[in-house]
Amino acid sequence: MKYYDLITPEGTNDLLFEDCIARKNVESIINEIFIKRGYQEIITPGLEFFDVFNLKSRHFAQEDLYKMVDRKGRLLVLRPESTMPIARVVATRLKEASLPLRLYYNQCAYNISPLMTGRSDQIVQAGIELIGSDSLMADIEVIDSAIEVLSKCKVEDFSVEIGDIGLFKELVNKLDINDIQKENIRSLIEMKNYPALNDLLDSIGNDKIIYSLKKLPRLFGGNEVFEKAAKLFSDEKIDKILSKLQTVYNDISSLYPDYKITVDLGMVNKTDYYTGIIIKGYIRDYGEAVLSGGRYDKLISEFGYDVPATGFAINVDAVAKVISKTEKFSVKIPDVIVFSNKEFYIKAFDIAKKYREEGLVTEIALFDNIDDVREYAKEKQIQKIVLVNENVTEVN
Amino acid sequence: MSKPLRIALTKGRLEKDTVSLFEKLGFDCSELTNKGRKLILQVPDANLEVVLAKAADVITYVDRGVCDMGVVGKDTIMEMKGKFFELVNLGFGKCRFALATKKDYNFYEGYEVKTIATKYPNVARAFFESKGMDVDIVKIEGSVELAPLLELSHGIVDIVETGSTLKENGLEVVEDIAPISARLIVNTVSLKLRQKEIETLVKLMEESIK
Repeated sequence: MKYYDLITPEGTNDLLFEDCIARKNVESIINEIFIKRGYQEIITPGLEFFDVFNLKSRHFAQEDLYKMVDRKGRLLVLRPESTMPIARVVATRLKEASLPLRLYYNQCAYNISPLMTGRSDQIVQAGIELIGSDSLMADIEVIDSAIEVLSKCKVEDFSVEIGDIGLFKELVNKLDINDIQKENIRSLIEMKNYPALNDLLDSIGNDKIIYSLKKLPRLFGGNEVFEKAAKLFSDEKIDKILSKLQTVYNDISSLYPDYKITVDLGMVNKTDYYTGIIIKGYIRDYGEAVLSGGRYDKLISEFGYDVPATGFAINVDAVAKVISKTEKFSVKIPDVIVFSNKEFYIKAFDIAKKYREEGLVTEIALFDNIDDVREYAKEKQIQKIVLVNENVTEVN
Repeated sequence: MSKPLRIALTKGRLEKDTVSLFEKLGFDCSELTNKGRKLILQVPDANLEVVLAKAADVITYVDRGVCDMGVVGKDTIMEMKGKFFELVNLGFGKCRFALATKKDYNFYEGYEVKTIATKYPNVARAFFESKGMDVDIVKIEGSVELAPLLELSHGIVDIVETGSTLKENGLEVVEDIAPISARLIVNTVSLKLRQKEIETLVKLMEESIK
């Protein structure tokens, strides 16, 4: 029998010293931003019933979830994300709370990622959920928070991208096709697979909507995107979606003239509980989006409470990893080490306590003679050695 | 000048076809044509850095963002999956996935669960899943055509170009599964952070293969 007692499971790892500081640093920057904006923390259990993640508007593939059964044989999962558990809490314990609710979280999410791609199955995500408002201001508040988070984390080059899932939904629903075909179109637009998308759409028809859908994935970039989009399709609903998105884009761009804000009308994520404006954040040197979110007005109603909401989540581990490449975090070196003979050790603890109260990091020496203490202090770069017997003396 | 765009090419035929495409576009490919054993090469006038890799690794590098772009066959994309944009069908490296059996064997007959030998288990699995058909799949690394001849499997799912290897070994295509050709794939973040450069290159490539 093989024992796996010396390694961690695939997709997980231990974080030591500097790496812990790097992650905690990112967490504290982000959490402070959330708190200052009036968001309150919520912690949900790591274990949830599978049913929470198996909704009509959003479900997780069985093979991507860590599963187990509880004592009664019911299916449990390690939470793959935090928005759905929070929706559950909002629809139950917070149903009577006054709106809007501003909630934030900072906790692990677990996903089974493809084998041998070097991805982590356990990542720390921080995020906010703004619940109870369908106003444009709420969308802007969420995007504004996302930009503040990315800028305060001091990543060198980042960009924030907005889109609106409504556009795709409006267009595709005008076509007389079944859900499977719709999903095929969606996934080709998401992958920006221009050639295959063209082939598929050509087989369906040849009108203005088809042409617009072909162009959709190519519509990303700056303000010019709106001009191009306006030429493609026009009806009441679509014009409304576009002008709302343009307002958000212009407002955000004027709030942050120095940052890279872009639009992608072909952003059509799969796990789609999103109903309106969506957002993604990218940083240089990380191969996938580190931040994502958007409006999800129908999700909480699946838990029995019909209330609009929007929010985002950021991959804390990814940000910490990128920051660590340029910024060095170092562990705290103790200021003092206190050494005593056996008969004086109570006094030594007392002296150490006093140093700590002064704000010094103080270790108790666990050696029998002063030479070993000196050697240890030298190796750990501890500057001050204090000898405790009848007297208290600093020695070299 | 900014950091070069990094493009991974599938070593071998796709690499040669891509280099001739670059030459057609007027890029200085001298380093690529006299590469020796080097694996990272420069195309200075196009601000490109070329990485030579095996097909599956091209996908890994682009998926993880260590390369901005890649040239790889649709066969590998179908087998590996991954998250990236598949912007251009480059047109070269054309062939197809097909199901083949021994000549005159009626594959779909009978209730017996069929065995399929293949180098592409995910492609084979997806194909038979779409038919609602259970099959046993055996992964083979070398000449897949051997499996039905040795009676390890009832059929094979493999890449077919001209079909001459099949013919010489008494096999024939039962059904085409999907057409294959080389694709230009792009990392999802690179396309957004370096949009102008990538779009310019994509446009050039699209125009020259029309």
